Amino acid sequence: MISRLLELFLAYEEDPNVKLVILKGKGRAFCAGGDVVAVVHDIWAGGWRAGANFFMKEFSLNYLMATYSKPQVSILNGIVMGGGNGVSMHGRFRVATENSVFAMPETALGLFPDVGASYFLSRLPGFFGEYVGLTGARLDGAEMLACGLATHFVPSAKLPMVEAALCDADSSDPVIISSIIDQYCEKPSLKEQTVYNRLDVIDRCFSQRTVEEILSALEREVVDQRDGWIFATIQTLKKASPTSLKISLRSIRVGRVQGVGACLAREYRMVCHVMRGEFSKDFFEGCRAILLDKDKNPKWEPSKLEHIADTTIDRYFSKVKDEDWEDLKPPTRSKFNLPPYVIAKL
Amino acid sequence: MDRAFQRTKVLTGHLLQSPPTSSFQTPSLSSNACLNYSPPELSEKYAFDISDMRKLMDGHDLEERDRLFGMITQSKVFNPRVRGGKVFVSPDYNQSMEQQREMTWKRIEYLFERGVFQGWLTGEGEEVEMRRFACFEVLGLFDHSISIKLGVHFFLWGGAIQFFGTKHHHDKWLRDTENYLIKGCFAMTELGHGSNVRGIETITTYDSNTGEFVINTPCESAQKYWIGGAANHATHTIVFSQLNINGTNQGVHALIAQIRDADGNVCPNIRIADCGHKIGLNGVDNGRIWFDNVRVPRENLLNSVADVSPDGKYLSAIKDPDQRFAAFLAPLTAGRVNIAVNAVYQSKVGLAIAIRYALTRRAFSLKPKEPEVLLLDYPSHQRRLLPLLAKTYAMSFGANYLKMLYVKRTPQSNKIIHVVSSSFKATFTWSNMQILQECREACGGQGLKTENRVGHLKAEHDVQSTFEGDNNILMQQVSKALFAEYMAAQKPNKAFKGLGLEHMNKPCPVIPSQLTTTTLRCSQFQMDVLCLRERDLLNRFVAEVSQCQAKGESKEHAFIMSYQLAEDLGKAFSDRAILQTFVEAEATLAACSLKDVLGMLRSLYALNCLEDGAYLRYGYLSVENAATVRREITKICSELRPHALALVSSFGIPDAFLSPIAFNWIDANSWSSAQH
Repeated sequence: MISRLLELFLAYEEDPNVKLVILKGKGRAFCAGGDVVAVVHDIWAGGWRAGANFFMKEFSLNYLMATYSKPQVSILNGIVMGGGNGVSMHGRFRVATENSVFAMPETALGLFPDVGASYFLSRLPGFFGEYVGLTGARLDGAEMLACGLATHFVPSAKLPMVEAALCDADSSDPVIISSIIDQYCEKPSLKEQTVYNRLDVIDRCFSQRTVEEILSALEREVVDQRDGWIFATIQTLKKASPTSLKISLRSIRVGRVQGVGACLAREYRMVCHVMRGEFSKDFFEGCRAILLDKDKNPKWEPSKLEHIADTTIDRYFSKVKDEDWEDLKPPTRSKFNLPPYVIAKL
Repeated sequence: MDRAFQRTKVLTGHLLQSPPTSSFQTPSLSSNACLNYSPPELSEKYAFDISDMRKLMDGHDLEERDRLFGMITQSKVFNPRVRGGKVFVSPDYNQSMEQQREMTWKRIEYLFERGVFQGWLTGEGEEVEMRRFACFEVLGLFDHSISIKLGVHFFLWGGAIQFFGTKHHHDKWLRDTENYLIKGCFAMTELGHGSNVRGIETITTYDSNTGEFVINTPCESAQKYWIGGAANHATHTIVFSQLNINGTNQGVHALIAQIRDADGNVCPNIRIADCGHKIGLNGVDNGRIWFDNVRVPRENLLNSVADVSPDGKYLSAIKDPDQRFAAFLAPLTAGRVNIAVNAVYQSKVGLAIAIRYALTRRAFSLKPKEPEVLLLDYPSHQRRLLPLLAKTYAMSFGANYLKMLYVKRTPQSNKIIHVVSSSFKATFTWSNMQILQECREACGGQGLKTENRVGHLKAEHDVQSTFEGDNNILMQQVSKALFAEYMAAQKPNKAFKGLGLEHMNKPCPVIPSQLTTTTLRCSQFQMDVLCLRERDLLNRFVAEVSQCQAKGESKEHAFIMSYQLAEDLGKAFSDRAILQTFVEAEATLAACSLKDVLGMLRSLYALNCLEDGAYLRYGYLSVENAATVRREITKICSELRPHALALVSSFGIPDAFLSPIAFNWIDANSWSSAQH
């Protein structure tokens, strides 16, 4: 699918008849993410390079979408998780509906929010990005609109009309496209228990220096407020891979001050280290426990945050020491007239 | 004619633009044969890993810096604005003085609530001190006022308690300072005395009946002036004053006095006035303070160096008042180090903006019908900016060296720290002003917009050449220290040791009459030629001062008369010391493309030093040599041109801390942007 999307996007960019690209899913999901099980099988069969190859293609597609010279409209009418975010969040327009469910659930799997998440999560308000990335929290359409993950919210019944109007207008002008979608938009109300009402607690806690300090800060808040949501957040963090939490935190913090290309290149390095299992095999254990054997009881190693040295985390961010390995080489964009909103991301 | 035809073609294109097809809003302007912004990231290549270079430049606490950058960009209290699709954070300098002061305080509160200042005074050890420096460097990139407000509270007030006070002061004041239960300031400077601290006129006497010190401002020239934090917020201050005990003036000492109560009301017998609007730094509330026989408990005397007994006897382990005074001032170096380092980071901001702009702005075609030339493709533009870039890299390594010197300080290294911090503070802050001016000019008219930052930084940082030691005074102190080193080395069985003066023990370096590219780029040659200047000027300076003394003048008078040589000598010392730090940093690297580029920068820095007038004035270089140097500089500039983007990206300054002209300045100024 990634190869096919790459082919299509590259072709559409050169085709003057294509003015914009609309991406949508079939059934109850926009896209639930990459086939992680398949990646694991590939690695068992062909070594870590087979897995790396998949991510190289995927991140290249993500970069292409992020720097695309024509607007992309993604219709997120359903589940959009993991790799599904990689092929939608970097596009100019993301349309949420009452069926949307967003998540970046990688830390539970022993991975980390990739596909350029260190770019788009870090740019959410305050420290919401750290919260979403570390906990894998689920957001609905209203929440996605509130925090900027979605650019528009359209009730699912009106989606066919949006599509028709966009095809009719046949324009590449983001101002026109936006105003067309606006015509069918609604302002959804946030549910009462929405996590979006807890932004001040999230900011206080998830701005702390380390994962340990984030947990301590959350624990301090529980004493003060006796809150179910905080308790659940703490539990989620305690269940996630400690290594994943630490590399995810640093990835988001570093990504906040980097352009989208640099983020993807850095994430590629990180994911190669994960594939190689040099410092931890949590990715394989996570896939086993959650996706294969489904006992939901992964045995992380290292099992405690305190046992993971900063120097180990540093290594995830460095080049892979292998003769054949190369940094991610995204497609060249210099020959295209990139719109300002793309240039701003570089 | 060609030009007229071209213009007519462009204008025709505008006029014949087809009408909009849709009935919705007016379409955005489409680009015709118009200028397009082309991001340098797409056309320039990185020859080395910029994250490796950033690690080398920043040196420490990278994670903490990124976290703090994030705190600033992610909060409304730091005034984020969107320009050209990007977020920039910078205080609103169009606000009134009162509003700016209020915002500075709100930002400090925000950071305080998130535990950023934890351990800054109660923590111990090199790690804490280095992390504190890193935080100041980051905050300084956002705004000078906030870093000064924090500097006054932590480095000056807090530092005074730490280093002039003893255990009971630490126990009583440090935790409350760190937790902002009190707000401190530092009352040393007076209207009539700044550099000459020993001449201040505030007088303190002791009342043995009540066990209190009585602090008084005897005349208008004795009012405390420029006291950061005093005008609005500070509750307590360190007061520097002459101490009169039993009719004897024991010299300058420091005491703690409360100036406001917890509700913000000025205490009795204290008068405070505002210093008023300044050319920059209006987020700092500088105040003037008069003490009208203010009584403070005896314990408020900061007594690490001297004390007064309850019955009014003056006690000090150091009998010599000069030495006592020196011991007093030595610990305040942290502030001076901070200012020096901060100046380098401002230069980085200026250069990042100017160079990125020069990589996207074009002016004049060489031939008709050709596209206009990028600013940075002009040799003259390269000559203006790239040597300053090299100097900034050099100063950055110097700054890292100075920080390490400071955190690893021992009583023995105090003297070296004093000389190096004086030299580097003066050099870095003066260079910064020069660099910002050049960068402002290189940005043309855009440099005049406050939101483009580079011009505004000049006014904000002008004060750096004056506070924490007037630069001219500091450089004079450097030359006096070198004089003392020279005299000490003349004693039997003594040689030059320390301050990098060991080269004086060796024979004088010889400069080849023919200078080739290989020679000019060799670090040994570069060190030799800088050491040569330092050596010769030190000899001359000593000779002139000695001559003057031989005529019967005092040493002080002789120093004053030899100011010209002193100035040249101070510069020679600084340039050489800075080059040394560059060479040492370069040596830590294994061979790689990053090291090659660094070597080019080092050569550019060194050769630029050779353009100093002293080289021709005192004949260290022949006229021919000087011409060869000049040509080599132009050559290196063109070799560095392809690395310009990588070199400024390696500063690790997030985009949000630069300004709109460093990015898509066309879109930032578009009509539709102005509508929001």
